[in-house]
Amino acid sequence: MIDCIVIGGGAGGLAAAIEIKRLGHNVLLIEREDKLGGILNQCIHNGFGLEIFKEEYTGPEYADKYIKLFLREKINYLIDTTVIDLYKEEDIFIVKTSSETLGIREYKSKSICLSTGSYERTRGQISIPGDRPYGVITAGSAQRYINIDGYMTGKRVFILGSGDIGLIMARRMTLEGAKVLGVAEIMPYSNGLNRNIVQCLNDFDIPLYLSHTVTNIKADDSNHLKEIRVMKVDDSFNVIKDTEIDFQVDTLLLSVGLIPDIILLDQLDVEIDPLTKSVKVDQSNQTSIEGLFVCGNALQIHDLVDNVSKESQRTGKAIDLYLRNTNHSNKKISFIPGVNIAYLTPQYIDFSNPNEKVVVSFRPKKKIEKSLLKVIQNDRIVYEKKKMFLLPAEMETIELDILHFDENQPITLELEVIS
Amino acid sequence: MYDYIIIGAGVIGSAVARELSKYQVKVLCLEKENDVANVQTLANSAIIHAGHNPEPGSLKARLSLWGNLLYDDLERELNIPLLRTGAFVVAHGKEEEKDLDKYVKICKENKVPGYQLLSGQQARKIERNLAGSITKVLSLPSTKVTNPWEVAFALMENAIENGVKLKLNHRVTKIIKENDFYLVEVNHHINFKTKNIINAGGVASDDIGQMIEIPPFKIKGRKGEYYVLDKRNIGFINHVIYPLPSERGKGVLLTPQVHGEILIGPSSEFVDDKHQASTTQKGLEYVKEHSKELAKNIPYNQIIRSFAGIRSTSTYDDFYIQESKYNKGFYYLGGIESPGLTAAPAIAKYLINDVIGVQNHYLINNQFKPYRKAKVEFHRLPLNDQKRLLEIEPKYGKIICKCEKITEKEIIDAIHGLLGTHTIKGIKKRVRAGAGICQGGYCEEKVMKILARELNLDPLDIIYDKDNSKLFLSESKVEK
Repeated sequence: MIDCIVIGGGAGGLAAAIEIKRLGHNVLLIEREDKLGGILNQCIHNGFGLEIFKEEYTGPEYADKYIKLFLREKINYLIDTTVIDLYKEEDIFIVKTSSETLGIREYKSKSICLSTGSYERTRGQISIPGDRPYGVITAGSAQRYINIDGYMTGKRVFILGSGDIGLIMARRMTLEGAKVLGVAEIMPYSNGLNRNIVQCLNDFDIPLYLSHTVTNIKADDSNHLKEIRVMKVDDSFNVIKDTEIDFQVDTLLLSVGLIPDIILLDQLDVEIDPLTKSVKVDQSNQTSIEGLFVCGNALQIHDLVDNVSKESQRTGKAIDLYLRNTNHSNKKISFIPGVNIAYLTPQYIDFSNPNEKVVVSFRPKKKIEKSLLKVIQNDRIVYEKKKMFLLPAEMETIELDILHFDENQPITLELEVIS
Repeated sequence: MYDYIIIGAGVIGSAVARELSKYQVKVLCLEKENDVANVQTLANSAIIHAGHNPEPGSLKARLSLWGNLLYDDLERELNIPLLRTGAFVVAHGKEEEKDLDKYVKICKENKVPGYQLLSGQQARKIERNLAGSITKVLSLPSTKVTNPWEVAFALMENAIENGVKLKLNHRVTKIIKENDFYLVEVNHHINFKTKNIINAGGVASDDIGQMIEIPPFKIKGRKGEYYVLDKRNIGFINHVIYPLPSERGKGVLLTPQVHGEILIGPSSEFVDDKHQASTTQKGLEYVKEHSKELAKNIPYNQIIRSFAGIRSTSTYDDFYIQESKYNKGFYYLGGIESPGLTAAPAIAKYLINDVIGVQNHYLINNQFKPYRKAKVEFHRLPLNDQKRLLEIEPKYGKIICKCEKITEKEIIDAIHGLLGTHTIKGIKKRVRAGAGICQGGYCEEKVMKILARELNLDPLDIIYDKDNSKLFLSESKVEK
């Protein structure tokens, strides 16, 4: 019997597995690609590791640091292996895998750490009208084609969505000799980190069209992308007449959001948060199913890999506690996103959990210059802090001490805008 | 010299090819696209209709009722996917209920099996998400759903096994009538001789006719736009849900698909360019708006794709299945719009047996093999079968498309099959790699590499869909 199966060998899975193993448990990590490191392997730009290593690394370098730590721990792992089924029988999780070398196997485990990352929203999900040519691809796919496989999809590029991968690809494709004609963002503010706006757009004179979106796509005779139409939108995202700008491009990159990949949990009756599009968790990152933990981008979309590593390490520690503690009584109360909060994790606080410090992550709903962050219980402000320059593109974290709260009443987090 | 040249390899051309292969005839099928089932057959609702709509006595009525029955044979012989969903035609309030009676009458005259009227309440007991405003429902239990291009593949593969020749990327550019045969010019430079021509050109069937005469009908393109709901919503509805039909056609429907998705659509709008199936803001909004009348709480946030198809509506108000009045041996299959997919197997039999009377001129093909082996859908097999197959073929263990659980071996088989393929889209059509929620975001690169390896191609030559729709422009970091 395995103590914990970690699904996913990217930043989250590696950090969690290392921690669980160090704390004395046997771990099996399963990765579907033929190497560890996950999406970091295709992120060859720098900017990784500042928080954890106080030094700037590229994605593969950052991955390499963790892979070395992982290998040193002699943790069992499988690569080139896809988990095709995950279910629970009484107290035991059954993980069914498929691979070319081992065929179909089943592994039993006391706990699961799901660290499967996210997938990119596609054109279909945002229903851009027009023809359906090749050349409309997600920014992450283009990143893999260029950085890992060594192929350019085109030379005249437009980018829809100002997510970080889109911005980084604007720079990347420029450096590879393509002409990036612009980035359109439907929101009135960018969805990427400020440093990426500066370093990837401004430094290369790539225009950012805020409150704009792509409204039509045209193909050439061989069904390759030929032209896109960009239009301005109003406050309710309706397109404004006579604002058309047409761009002749052969590539449209989509950077329109990441969605936590929790498809593996489909068969488990696990509680979902429509705001994060992932599971609801307590401060251990334990889901509504006992023994099932989720971390990394599978839990919530992070801006920085450093935060993924930290969150996953915390999850590893929590899994250790779970495995050592046979008495799993819990006393959960809701932690609710209030005014101006787009989402928060954890969605529950478990008062039977000896972790008194609760790390809360959240994003504001809109751009806020000055605000008062309040944690409220029974109409009483339990915690208060000034917060400046909040952006939906930047995840915020605070630490709460649960000793200050009543164990029976829901808690709300809100942002009061002050001038 | 061929006995028959079929122009067009959609579901109709493919059905005709298979039916002809039951005789000792030399048949060639010419397709302008680089794959079978690339136009009308690729983009429609996938329904095998019960027959509540076509005018009693029309060819549409007769052939769709018969075709519906023939799909059971196709399932048995060719292993096509078939969902026996049944359908509900729904009415809101007294006015519409009166209209519903009109369709009850059509059902009676067309001898639609098992049709029945239900109250809104009764219907909601069966379909819990049906809109609350629905007061009466016409239930059509013989309605089924299939996958149109898989049907075309199955028919064409079986036809090829029985001797039919198929040539893709062969666009007919000219037809010349000689004394007792036709010269069919393809791509402006190749010529084929044939005694008979079967024009299954779909939206281009009038243009093909135009090559030798003034065709008896004109094709108008009618565009239908659709949304696809992710297969995680399987069971949201289990029947095909129709509104009351109108002059615009059968209206916006909800249709469960064989692989678990739900289609919402189509819109219906005449278009000038019948070769251009693009979606529009207006069309997609129309679909959303009208679908709300059918069911409550449709999870529009679970849409994974939208697409459009062109229906070839002819100026003749029925299927036009006749020999040319001026050119003997030239046969029209025109205006095959809905219920064309339903009628397809019956259209083929009607053309071959009744219109042409092939049996009067040619001997039966005694070697005809009616059965086609099902393709392996590995992750739908029982565990024991999986383990047995894995021992022979470890590549069944390698998952390439994780959304649809498609293995490398299935992709390799699709590349080298009877109807092999060299495109990303071709793989998607054959094995569904890339058809799931991430729409190929994860597996497209892997499929590209398998295609390159299996076909011994440079990745720079891998194409997405149509020839020249290459994935890549150049290698990065290479000066050329």
